[in-house]
Amino acid sequence: MKCLTPLILLMTTISAHAQPGKASTVRKSFSRETTIVQTINADPSIVWSLLTNASDFARWNSTIISLQGNIETGEKIRLKSTLDPQRTFKLKIKVLVPERKLIWGDAMGSRTFTLEKKGITTHFTMSEKIGGLMFPLFANKIPSFDQSFEQFTTDLKKEAETISQSK
Amino acid sequence: MTIEEFTHQFERFKPQLKTYLLRMTANAHKTEDLVQDTWIRASSSLSSFKGESSLKTWVFSIASNLAKDDLRKRKRWPENATDICKEAALNNPDHFREALHLAETNNHAKFEIREHIAFCFLCIAKSLPLEQHLCLLLKEIHDFKLGEIAEILQTSVPQVKYHLHTARQKMIGIFDGRCALINQEGVCHQCTEINGIFNPEQNEQEALNRIKLFKESKKADKEHLFELRMKILKEIDPFQSGGHVLELHHLEHNRKVIEEYLKKGG
Repeated sequence: MKCLTPLILLMTTISAHAQPGKASTVRKSFSRETTIVQTINADPSIVWSLLTNASDFARWNSTIISLQGNIETGEKIRLKSTLDPQRTFKLKIKVLVPERKLIWGDAMGSRTFTLEKKGITTHFTMSEKIGGLMFPLFANKIPSFDQSFEQFTTDLKKEAETISQSK
Repeated sequence: MTIEEFTHQFERFKPQLKTYLLRMTANAHKTEDLVQDTWIRASSSLSSFKGESSLKTWVFSIASNLAKDDLRKRKRWPENATDICKEAALNNPDHFREALHLAETNNHAKFEIREHIAFCFLCIAKSLPLEQHLCLLLKEIHDFKLGEIAEILQTSVPQVKYHLHTARQKMIGIFDGRCALINQEGVCHQCTEINGIFNPEQNEQEALNRIKLFKESKKADKEHLFELRMKILKEIDPFQSGGHVLELHHLEHNRKVIEEYLKKGG
């Protein structure tokens, strides 16, 4: 435990100092993880609804071309992203805790969305970890997620705050 | 509150309740049943009405729950419901024969483009998810406040805001892509096509120019056009308007066609 403490402290410090709306990527030999945090001035239920209504995603999120299926635990979804428009990602909803956490992914990686209510705002975190033993072989073929993460988060913040301010 | 007092107040907002239920169910007979069931349910549980909300809000809540029980079992309509129904009508000569007979013999079966705009909205709004559909009707047509809608639908104000915003955006997108009244590229001309059948002598351009939605379509933004469309719906009572007999006839046809279409897995 003693030797883990500096590491935990370091990770907490990184998280606390992450610049809102700016993605950061940690590269390792067998994995890569991109993370972004943002404060959204809206109730978590609004952010959650936007993140779990598959058929409506492409309307507000400029990084998503289409998202088909139901975002429910164990369900499979088909996602087309501007990162690789020719490809359809077949993903499984791995974890779903209403208004708190959503994880989707495949054998190679997972994307985690976390919501935390902070007063009248929502602390939003999105991260995607990809990796495995074969990762070094194709690591340089996978484009950076940073820009796409930043756009995704900008769109989400804008849409959620527009809804929150509506009368 | 006595039953007599309740009934007196109920009768005052009953036309609004009927309009709400018709636009929710697309079924005039079911609407009548639901209005009766709502009265029975509300009058038998008057002691549970604490006056924390208005009586109207409380009654709309009961009616919404009754209607939702049935609607949850049914699939939502497709966005192109009116296209599917048009094709079915063209293949069914009896439908127009009956409609023309109604128009000739019934004083409340006069075809009006404005009424058909409201009718068209009714059909297309049924493609929205149920909660979004109800939020839209309660806010845009019946002027309930966000907190009252949250109470009627037993949800939170942020959720009402989400449903409302999403519903509006979807409907604006659908009408912008389809409605030739507001977009020259629009694929649907049904209101003017049907007008040509029922009112062949009418100067169509003059008739259209009397409709603000059409008149302002070239200069106004999509949001404003949506509001003008909602204003038309607010002004039309689908059980009392000049052409309600004809529109209810069309609605019965469309509902049967779509139910059959959905049954076949459409």
